[in-house]
Amino acid sequence: MLAAQYLDWNNSMSTLNKAYESGLFVLIIGPKGTGKTSLVRGFAASKGGRLESINFSLRTRESHLVGAKTLTDGSVGFDEGVLIKSMRHGSMLYLDEINAAEADVLLRLDEALDDRRQVVLKESAGQVVQASDNWFVIATINPLTHVGTKELPPQILSRFPIRIRLDYPPEEVELEIVRRHVPDAEEAQIMRGIKLANILRQAAAVEELYYAPSLRETIAFAKLLECKVSAKNAAELVFGNVYAQWGNIEYQKVGDIITSMFEK
Amino acid sequence: MMSELRLRNDTLVEIFTFLARRWSETDETLVDFTKKNQAKTRLGEKRITIPNIDRYQGDNFHKYRQVRTALWYEAMRLRHCTKILSNDHAFGFILNTIETKRMERLGRMTWMGMDSELVFSYAFAINYRPHLNAIYGKARIVEAFYQAFLLGGIKGEIQPSHFERVQEAVSYADRILDEAVKDGHQTKWLEVRIPEIIKILDIDSLLTIPVSLPWMRQGMALTEAELLRSLAGIAKNREGDFGKIDPAVSLRGDDIYSEYSALVEEDKKNENHKLGTAGVGVLVPPTDGIDETVIYDRDLINRIKTRFKDWKSGWREQSLPHGDEFDEDGYVDGTQPFFTDVKMASRARIMILLDHSSSIASDHLEYKKATLALCEVLAYLKIEFSVYAFNTQNKAVICWMIKPARARWNNSTAKRLAGIAANGATPLAEVYDKMSPTIQAGKPEIFLTLTDGEPSDPDAVRSMVKSLKMTGIRMVALGLGPDIVRSTTIARNLGRLGYEKAISVSRLHDIPNKVMSILEHASSGTR
Repeated sequence: MLAAQYLDWNNSMSTLNKAYESGLFVLIIGPKGTGKTSLVRGFAASKGGRLESINFSLRTRESHLVGAKTLTDGSVGFDEGVLIKSMRHGSMLYLDEINAAEADVLLRLDEALDDRRQVVLKESAGQVVQASDNWFVIATINPLTHVGTKELPPQILSRFPIRIRLDYPPEEVELEIVRRHVPDAEEAQIMRGIKLANILRQAAAVEELYYAPSLRETIAFAKLLECKVSAKNAAELVFGNVYAQWGNIEYQKVGDIITSMFEK
Repeated sequence: MMSELRLRNDTLVEIFTFLARRWSETDETLVDFTKKNQAKTRLGEKRITIPNIDRYQGDNFHKYRQVRTALWYEAMRLRHCTKILSNDHAFGFILNTIETKRMERLGRMTWMGMDSELVFSYAFAINYRPHLNAIYGKARIVEAFYQAFLLGGIKGEIQPSHFERVQEAVSYADRILDEAVKDGHQTKWLEVRIPEIIKILDIDSLLTIPVSLPWMRQGMALTEAELLRSLAGIAKNREGDFGKIDPAVSLRGDDIYSEYSALVEEDKKNENHKLGTAGVGVLVPPTDGIDETVIYDRDLINRIKTRFKDWKSGWREQSLPHGDEFDEDGYVDGTQPFFTDVKMASRARIMILLDHSSSIASDHLEYKKATLALCEVLAYLKIEFSVYAFNTQNKAVICWMIKPARARWNNSTAKRLAGIAANGATPLAEVYDKMSPTIQAGKPEIFLTLTDGEPSDPDAVRSMVKSLKMTGIRMVALGLGPDIVRSTTIARNLGRLGYEKAISVSRLHDIPNKVMSILEHASSGTR
């Protein structure tokens, strides 16, 4: 899946380029599965630079970011975390799902991201780490409707003055993306899977359903088609069955949409 | 047999609202049921009215399939029509007839799985249409046009010269329909071509089409063999449109059956819950023609959902000096080195009683928006709750059941809430008395009364509250007032009536937050 080249359908790549040239950090906002990570990886690859990434969750600690003391052969050392590494080397830092992080973790980030671009390592005898000139940071956040996400505090928001909004692509663009991953599936059938995904996304957007399928799922649907699974069966496997998690009525609602969309 | 069980409208409302919105790709579509024989869609209001399921023929599964297909047609009208005329006159009737086929053609581009269901519904539609011999005057020609155009044949006899006209009109109608679909023309484009059909049929465009025409034979049973014959006939007549459909497969309707069974199960559950309150003075509010969307404040709902999101997972991780899991990083950092998952969600069962007396009338809409937001959030957080309301009708107090404890919160329950009018005084003791069997049966941990006034019978209330508290129910009151002073006074007075807790709210949209804090308090008290 990663082998396919990123399709820059809404000029995000050029926005990233301009932000990179101006040294402005970027925040990408969008629901899961809209290709945020693919975009960042594609961009890092185009720059040929090293990409340090960290995926935030409730369990992410300051030490994952900054580093931690170590004890080797009786001497105390310091193992640098991704933030410090990327600052020193001037590599690209990718902060994935930053709004899943706890407040204390964000506080340390805030210190590094402000105009001084430096961190005082209280963990390592107050050493001051200054970021290289070409240090570049990209963060992503999921909209608040996602479980486990929190509102990003304004001071952190302001560290990322360029904000790219990434939504699900238009149908024909999604088709093109899916085709890059699964070139041999029948186009008309893929299109129907995409249409179904969009109908479910629309329902999730107004909270009639608990879950919106991502681009990964339309790609999975196409892969099943390629394996000669019938469109209806593939739709049930990829899009329909997951809703059973929320009870029979939710499952049947989506099941009906699939039944009315795909002939046997 | 499963198909012997009949579905009630409030079970259907949830799934049909969902389907209508998704099929028509129009959020906020409303679905309700009518006792009339004709489905109707109001484009401006995005409201679809379909005949009650018992207006259809066949066994209950057959009825369900027909009403579902009727809904699909109306959802397609909502999606693709720009104008829907009345069926009362020949002009509108003919336009709608052609539009029906246009809906099929356009709808089936996305909804190919409907083919078998459309054919199945047509098999019954043939039976619903009147025999031409039974229609007098020129309405007979119009009906013949309808039958020939949509069903592919006519029932009964018609003068040969009239039949020729009908055939000519059908072929003209098919031609303009092809062109409309091919070039993406809308309703208006077809509308200006209807006079040509009127001319071919040689009728007056204002010719009245008797309303009794559709479904004249409603209620007449079809045997399975007759139905299969009808199905085979329509499958053949419309093969050009729908392709090859196996009548036996279409008759079985396997794809829809599991959905139907799930609905019947849900219906049985609802029926069981309803029995708990039947006959004890608690009524279910009418939902016909109620628009629940006016009391949906998405902004408010989302704000509260976001605020209480932690409750959804049920747990929140906290660092403490002692706990379940050791955290090396925390230890090295010198912070509190243990994780403990702290339970966030409340398992407390809550029963909510809403005052709908006349004093709330001026802020009725805001009040309902706030209480609806509360219900949405409680449902979202999977907290077991029930909602009742009271008002006065013809000087008698009525208790309304909006949602019993185990039923789901859905469009149908929201409709009930939207449908209650603000009226009458606040005879709380009488209300508690009427609710008593329901309260005893439901055994909530918390009984919450939302009221904006002082009860007209304070002494009786005091003794009722006392006796309910004796049964282990925590009696809590939320006093609503227009400003802080007034709401605090109300709450203070309620406090004197023996409630375990009386809280005041001066801004209606704070109701959900206050109720959540009551639950939070209850859960921390029981942890």
